[in-house]
Amino acid sequence: MSKTGFYAERIRPVVVTAVLTAICITLVSAFYLSTQDRVKENEGLVLKRAVLFAAGLNVPATNQGINELYESLVTEDNGVFTVKDTSGKPAAYAFIQTGPGLWGEIGAVIAFDSSLSQFAGVDFISQNETPGLGARITESWFKEQLRGKVPPLKMNPEGTESSAPSEIDAITGASRTSEYALSLFNRAGERAASLKGGN
Amino acid sequence: MAGKALKTFTAPLGKDNPVFVQILGICSTLAVTNNLKNTVVMVLGVMFTTTLSSFTFSLLRKVIPGRIRMIAETLIIATFVIIVDIVLRAFMPEIWQQLGPYVGLIITNCIVMGRMEAFAASNPPGLSLIDGLASGMGYAYVLVIIAFFRELLGSGSVWGFPLLGDWWTNWAIMIMPPGAFFMLAIFIWVVKGRSKE
Repeated sequence: MSKTGFYAERIRPVVVTAVLTAICITLVSAFYLSTQDRVKENEGLVLKRAVLFAAGLNVPATNQGINELYESLVTEDNGVFTVKDTSGKPAAYAFIQTGPGLWGEIGAVIAFDSSLSQFAGVDFISQNETPGLGARITESWFKEQLRGKVPPLKMNPEGTESSAPSEIDAITGASRTSEYALSLFNRAGERAASLKGGN
Repeated sequence: MAGKALKTFTAPLGKDNPVFVQILGICSTLAVTNNLKNTVVMVLGVMFTTTLSSFTFSLLRKVIPGRIRMIAETLIIATFVIIVDIVLRAFMPEIWQQLGPYVGLIITNCIVMGRMEAFAASNPPGLSLIDGLASGMGYAYVLVIIAFFRELLGSGSVWGFPLLGDWWTNWAIMIMPPGAFFMLAIFIWVVKGRSKE
């Protein structure tokens, strides 16, 4: 094998791959770094919006409005968000509950009323469920049905819309995701009960 | 040259359509089409990726040795896909969350790599760009049509706006995976039935 043959056959592919990889990594890193602050701000807003929504408040439409309302009503201590009413008394407690999902971890902010015995509401902050099926846990009917319910919950088929205090509807076509969501809610219920014991 | 460019542009839209003729990119066709909004974001991502990947690979086609061709293709595709992912995450966080893993899975969409292998590897950058864009568009319009009917029948809405009233009973199967198979099959049936071949 001639010298140029050796170079063309063995060295050049490695060099070209290395250079191309370096260029691609640089490009991706540049995009990542330049959007990092924005992503962080988005994540912060997602959490604030979730806490306000779970506590049953009207979530302002603008980012600034969300920040202001959050600052005025919510305090965080040791992972527990205390949401006050306008008179300054605690109206709801919320915390982040995570658990397994079908494809990845599900993260939710779950809020309880001031007695810690009833769900005030839920909002999901991270999930990778199947779009159109499991991802429907983020639809408002699924989240709204939790308000005022008492843990531990059990689940009915979608469309039952039971008014019983401990029953919620599952999602058709997403039985596994529904079960994961149910156990997430129930573990949050246990955690709320333990917080009550501590108070 | 202009004739070839036009032919390159129209083929993927009709007789060489990647979805209903070549039956490529079916995974995402089935997965994301239960909701029009997600579908539109997804097809924009695919169009962006396939256009720029074909163009970039064609530019580099004489520099990249044949034996690492596929490594290079994958690298180029992955770069553009991750850029789409990062931009969505920063500027459309809600849609990014809903699409979840499917944005990353554009990397494995056979249409993107297929066009690079079949066209960009042996054609100049300008034509490859047209081919990439047209293939993306050929994919896009099929998905948008399927998504329109799936969301309409499955959720009674279009783009999230309720269109059919309370009298409408949602066909849950349309937003589940079997609904995608039915819609795609009906689409292919209608298109093939209309063509003279």
